[in-house]
Amino acid sequence: MLELADVRKRFGGVVALNGVSFSLRAGEVHALVGENGAGKSTLIKILCGIVKRDGGNIVLDGESYEPHSPADAKAHGIQVVHQEFNLLPYLSVAENICFEDIPRKRFGVVDYKAVYEKARQALTRIGLDDIDVRRPVETLGVAHRQLVEIARALMGESRILILDEPTATLTARETERLFAIIDGLRAKGVAIVFVSHHLNEVFANCDRVTVLRNGESVMTADIADTTQEKLVASMVGRQLAAQMAEIRKLDASSRIALALKNFRHPASPHADGVSLDLRYGEILGIAGLVGAGRTELLRSIFAADLPLSGTLERDGQPRSYTSPKAAIRDGIGFLTEDRKEEGLILAMSIAANVSLANLRKISRAGLLDAGAETQLTEKLGKEIKLKYGKTADPASTLSGGNQQKVVLAKWLANDPKILLLDEPTRGVDVGAKAEIYALLRGLADKGLALLVVSSELPELITLCDRILVMSKHRIAGEVAREDFSEERILSLAYKDENNHGRH
Amino acid sequence: MDATEFNSASTGSLGTTAKTVLREAGIGIALIVLIIVFSLSTQHFLTSSNVTNILTQVTINLVLSIGMTFVILIGGIDLSVGSVLAFAAVVAGTVMTLPGLDPSVAVMLATASAVAAGILFGLLNGLVSAWWGIPSFIVTLGTLNVARGAALQVTGASTIYSFPAAFNAFGSQTIYGVPVLFLIALLLVAVGWFVLTRTVFGRVLYGIGNNEEATRLAGHNVFFYKVAAFTICGAAVGIGAIIYMARLNIASPIIGIGFELNAIAAVIIGGTSLNGGRGSIIGTLLGACIIGVLANGLILLGLSDFMRQMITGFVIILAVILDKYRERLTKA
Repeated sequence: MLELADVRKRFGGVVALNGVSFSLRAGEVHALVGENGAGKSTLIKILCGIVKRDGGNIVLDGESYEPHSPADAKAHGIQVVHQEFNLLPYLSVAENICFEDIPRKRFGVVDYKAVYEKARQALTRIGLDDIDVRRPVETLGVAHRQLVEIARALMGESRILILDEPTATLTARETERLFAIIDGLRAKGVAIVFVSHHLNEVFANCDRVTVLRNGESVMTADIADTTQEKLVASMVGRQLAAQMAEIRKLDASSRIALALKNFRHPASPHADGVSLDLRYGEILGIAGLVGAGRTELLRSIFAADLPLSGTLERDGQPRSYTSPKAAIRDGIGFLTEDRKEEGLILAMSIAANVSLANLRKISRAGLLDAGAETQLTEKLGKEIKLKYGKTADPASTLSGGNQQKVVLAKWLANDPKILLLDEPTRGVDVGAKAEIYALLRGLADKGLALLVVSSELPELITLCDRILVMSKHRIAGEVAREDFSEERILSLAYKDENNHGRH
Repeated sequence: MDATEFNSASTGSLGTTAKTVLREAGIGIALIVLIIVFSLSTQHFLTSSNVTNILTQVTINLVLSIGMTFVILIGGIDLSVGSVLAFAAVVAGTVMTLPGLDPSVAVMLATASAVAAGILFGLLNGLVSAWWGIPSFIVTLGTLNVARGAALQVTGASTIYSFPAAFNAFGSQTIYGVPVLFLIALLLVAVGWFVLTRTVFGRVLYGIGNNEEATRLAGHNVFFYKVAAFTICGAAVGIGAIIYMARLNIASPIIGIGFELNAIAAVIIGGTSLNGGRGSIIGTLLGACIIGVLANGLILLGLSDFMRQMITGFVIILAVILDKYRERLTKA
């Protein structure tokens, strides 16, 4: 009933979708899988009318489908349950569920009796009859909010229901309930698109699966005809891995740059925290699922969030940084996961971004030396092969890969000894990825200690000398270079996942 | 692919440089157009006495707007400036009229105490909003009332006058028709411009206004800079209070009502974004001049007070709408 052919989308310099084809039949549950940044979210946004595609065709029931707005998509019977909640926290459950079409009496007065009745019916339909529909949504836990969101999406007569990571916040019992609801909808002929990171859920509940990689649909198969290994292989792709396979020689006797003992971020539920050693010249990878506490670990090392307990030793000396400023003074740099929110100041010039973390170097007695700033930017730009027009151009004029290089240059300008890198190639196209890998390796060869967090396993496997796998804010295991394999890393990452819901 | 990327980056740069220049030039052009329109439609607009008059009227708003620019650049707002101006004025007026002081000592002490009073409230605004993360809109709405109440309390709601004669004369002095007080304001414009564009301090303020978290993670003490911006605004208000006294030769607890709105209007008309991170002191200077020229020109055209108020209001809205289009241009 829904046919996508060669759908394309660009955001500025970044290609988000580069030819996605995908079909959906009535009464099927179709899984959409792929790594972070593969284009799943963009595809969903196109289907529900939030963004417009640049190219390709979408046909719905034999007619061309061009949604102009989310309301338009809903009118066509397409409903989406987004990953982020779209609930109004201070309104009641019932008001939220009926928000799109509030029953009213004369003169536009809300008919609360009908609102509550409708909401109760909607919740009963998904098997949730144990919550008071008059309660404000903010008093509910995340799992219940998710279910309310689903009930709301099912209010309209939807023929296509898109679920974006619906189980991420659910416990095992609620997940089961959700799949029972999905089964019921499938029986009624509703087509369901199911986006998930959890492959076991995909195999247990879906009929077909489509894999996205780097904005392209690389395979579609019946669940019965494929295996978990095949899916993983097509999700990550092999090309890049082969290209960067040469092994770096690491001096095992080099000094320890950073040592953590029982280091604990405030969000970590475990008192034992994280312990690790990072040596000069080493690239240490940290793998793990979303929410495993990897970003939090880096933030607490950098004192972006202050650690709750544990010790940090720098060159063998105990330190406790009270602000990012102190960490930077001690030779640490932190390339954040979210470039636009935390890394780059898009509206400011390339030069201003490069110098932001070391304004001291390009100033005298508090006065900026514009010449020195330009010089510094040009010198670093050359080193990292930055492609730009002028150093005075705003950073927003650069492509994703070059923006990331600017952030890297900001830290390199400081002559750091340790670099913390959170998803260093997110939103970066394949060509620029290889360049950034080469850059990072060059830095390690110069003796810098690198701690790399990434959700892309091939990235860690090509780049790192050693990989630690985190799960629920703890180190679940360590994998040495000789033993690198995605299966091994994933099995460690999923170790605690098997007890999903019983914590 | 590499070649196209390079090309798109370089054409983008040409465009953006032109756009940046156009932004301030646009405000300047608007000012010139206003001046031309008024000088063609009224006889008195371009006479030297009227120019002196306009510059005198612009002066206080300009001084307050300079301080306001610092606060708005970091994404804040200061609604208390009008009340703080009154408080600083009555403090300075009390000091200046203390019995037994040598006139020059009295003026110096009064100036220092006005600036100190302004800084005190600036610190209060900055510390409270930055420490607890409270929107400065609310905090300064509070200090707006605190300062006004304090000014009335200190004076028992009475007006202070009979300042030293030399002080009163200084306020109406001109050099080649330009009021000395306006020259002082211009000096402050120069200082503000220098600080914002040529110092590390100014650079970090822009950084905070654009992306506070990125600036913090780059190792800057965001708290300090936020408090500093409000303190600078307070100091400007203190200077504004002394200028007010020199010009009108009184200090009253009911002066300055609504001044905050004129200052905000000048900053916004001058092209500074209410979201912070974008704007300049030169823009603010032009914005304050537009408001002054508009007010004066409309009087000369014989419009009523009420009409003038309406027109000025529309101009503020128009400026913000134009800013939206500028924003879109820069983003595209």
